[in-house]
Amino acid sequence: MPNTTSSNLDQVRNWLLARTTERDSIDPDEDLITARLVDSLSFVEFVLTIEEASGVEIDREAIDLDDFRTLKAIERKFF
Amino acid sequence: MISELISKDERFQEILERLNRKSVEDYYNPYRMFEWPDSLPENRWWMSPELTTTYGTEVAAELDQEQLYRLSRYESINFYSLNVDGIRDLIIEVTRRIHTRGFEIPSEFFHHFIGEENEHMWFFAEFCQRYGEKIYRQVESSGQDETWPEAASFLVFVRILLFEELVDHFNSTMALDERLHDTIRAVNRIHHQDESRHIAFGRELVSLLFEDLKTKASPERLDEIREYIKRYVNYSFESLFNPQVYRDAGIPEPFAVRRRLLASPRSAEFQQQVLRKPLNFLVKTGILHDRNLAPTGLPTARGNS
Repeated sequence: MPNTTSSNLDQVRNWLLARTTERDSIDPDEDLITARLVDSLSFVEFVLTIEEASGVEIDREAIDLDDFRTLKAIERKFF
Repeated sequence: MISELISKDERFQEILERLNRKSVEDYYNPYRMFEWPDSLPENRWWMSPELTTTYGTEVAAELDQEQLYRLSRYESINFYSLNVDGIRDLIIEVTRRIHTRGFEIPSEFFHHFIGEENEHMWFFAEFCQRYGEKIYRQVESSGQDETWPEAASFLVFVRILLFEELVDHFNSTMALDERLHDTIRAVNRIHHQDESRHIAFGRELVSLLFEDLKTKASPERLDEIREYIKRYVNYSFESLFNPQVYRDAGIPEPFAVRRRLLASPRSAEFQQQVLRKPLNFLVKTGILHDRNLAPTGLPTARGNS
């Protein structure tokens, strides 16, 4: 796993918050899909944002949606 | 009901018959159709430069000729890879509908369509593996979508049509581009010939499905669907800008490059060029009210950098 700090995960959080005017925070356990912070058409951008912030190349053929559902899961898997 | 609309529409049925006939008459064996040299020259354009994502941007101005050729090679592999992934999805969706209620009359054409698409997928994959040693896998869209059961088939065929029209802009340009190797031109030419039939069919079917949808969906729902289609157009276009391509071409900071390119004024212009025909069609049929693709709801990569 590459060395990262919480500021890297903040890039992901900021990307999510920039997509909505209704929120200024996201709970680490909040389901991003259910909350509609990410949908099918923004999922690609979301994955690219996580790749850039984490420095981890994500295998396109091994994507498990559960690894992307919450900020906590993303941090655990990619940071 | 869509089957009623189709069975009453003589013009649609005549077009279908003509397209079915053309598919039989023009049938070819793709496995014997192409000459596949062992390698293609590297120091040459692999894709018309005007179709590459960096064309006319500051990013291109920072690259030398050799880097531009190299980039065009990986961009072309990405383009054919997009075809492989896109065709997989459309074969699945059309196969789901063949010989089911509502699609009795177009099912004959669906047989040609599925068969031809399978062959296209083969020669695009062959090209990628021979000359790029890889197929770029796209991130599959995941997550929740709005569920509009009344619009499901309409949206499937709109997505297929947009994909085919986008690809065809590239194929028709590259088929005629003398700067490209003969094998590259041939792959694009053959695909363009088959796709002309698929696009003609797609436009007719989408028009009919939209007539059907208008009887079932409220004006508010139609506006939501319009917004979705515009987002889908942006999503498709942005798939041309693949950071893995920039990385493979040896360009530093591939994510930042992608953002720069998408934010550049050229990208909006390029998008309108690439999608000129389908946007004209969508506006003419009333499926969209205008050609303005700037997001009004959620931002895209270009509105959120």
